[in-house]
Amino acid sequence: MSWFSRKHTDEIAKERLKLILVQDRSLLSPSVLNELKEDILKVINRYVEVGESDISIDIRRETHKTILEAVVPVKGVKKS
Amino acid sequence: MGRAIVITSGKGGVGKTTVTANVGASLAKLGKKVVVADMDIGLRNLDVVMGLENRVVYNIMDIVEGRCKISQALVREKHLSNLFLLPASQMHTKEDVDIEAINEIISIIKENFDYVLLDSPAGIENGFRSAAAPATEALIVVTPDVSSVRDADRVVGLLENNGIEGISLIINRYDPNLVAKRKTLDKDDIIDVLGLDLIGVIPEDKEIIDSENRGEILSIVGKSLSVQSFDNIAKRIEGEDVPFLEIPKEKRGFLDLFRRK
Repeated sequence: MSWFSRKHTDEIAKERLKLILVQDRSLLSPSVLNELKEDILKVINRYVEVGESDISIDIRRETHKTILEAVVPVKGVKKS
Repeated sequence: MGRAIVITSGKGGVGKTTVTANVGASLAKLGKKVVVADMDIGLRNLDVVMGLENRVVYNIMDIVEGRCKISQALVREKHLSNLFLLPASQMHTKEDVDIEAINEIISIIKENFDYVLLDSPAGIENGFRSAAAPATEALIVVTPDVSSVRDADRVVGLLENNGIEGISLIINRYDPNLVAKRKTLDKDDIIDVLGLDLIGVIPEDKEIIDSENRGEILSIVGKSLSVQSFDNIAKRIEGEDVPFLEIPKEKRGFLDLFRRK
């Protein structure tokens, strides 16, 4: 590894740690997570138009609570 | 009514017992009546770290099994008359522990003392559970490395599920020289990743090893920077707003400039 391009250890450590914690903290198995995504999409699709695979789910902790965050990009409003 | 605080980490060897003894002593220096309880049944160490191993007569399992009263098991510290050790049993295993009985003993002690600090064993099994069960607050001890922080995160989840609300972070063995060279996790990285409130940073300090080998508690007999850190943690537990210490890098001589770092 070149001396100049070498990444600092603290950066590597923090990246590793973040990835490990994402896995440790995920309360749901990948298959359950997929079901959850599909269900969320179904419900939101009743009201607004969303892409099929655009949803991302993140589970993270803040002080005293664990937060499940779903990001769903909206394509447009459904006309009823 | 006193406060019961568990000192825990998940990973072993990060300094739970050292933190328990020193923070306990710092609280006692503030005039508080303190019991430090060794909850590491089968592998007791707090008596040795405090230099009280020759004064232990009874232990917590003797109380549970009715061989002595609580007051008979408590060992007074050598210098501070308001600091007491509740020793663990060396003859039992963690599976022998009856969590209900321990809860009851700690709640009786709480009636007569300001603080009970519970020194948890490593791991997340029965020993950890019986140390955490009587507590309403927790101090999580980490060292600045990936495995320690990972285990701490796991423990925080378990504590929260058990209804412990006041969870604070202690970063132990912090080496500002390594941080300056970017060879280890910065304290802000650790706080950020764990999402906990910081209550103290204890610098790497060879005096701690020396005093423990002598059977003295550094925060009673010492003057180094880590003593200030322990004292500040005690004040913050008491609710005082104390600014965090700037931990200075080791001073380097002119010749060190030519040494490879």
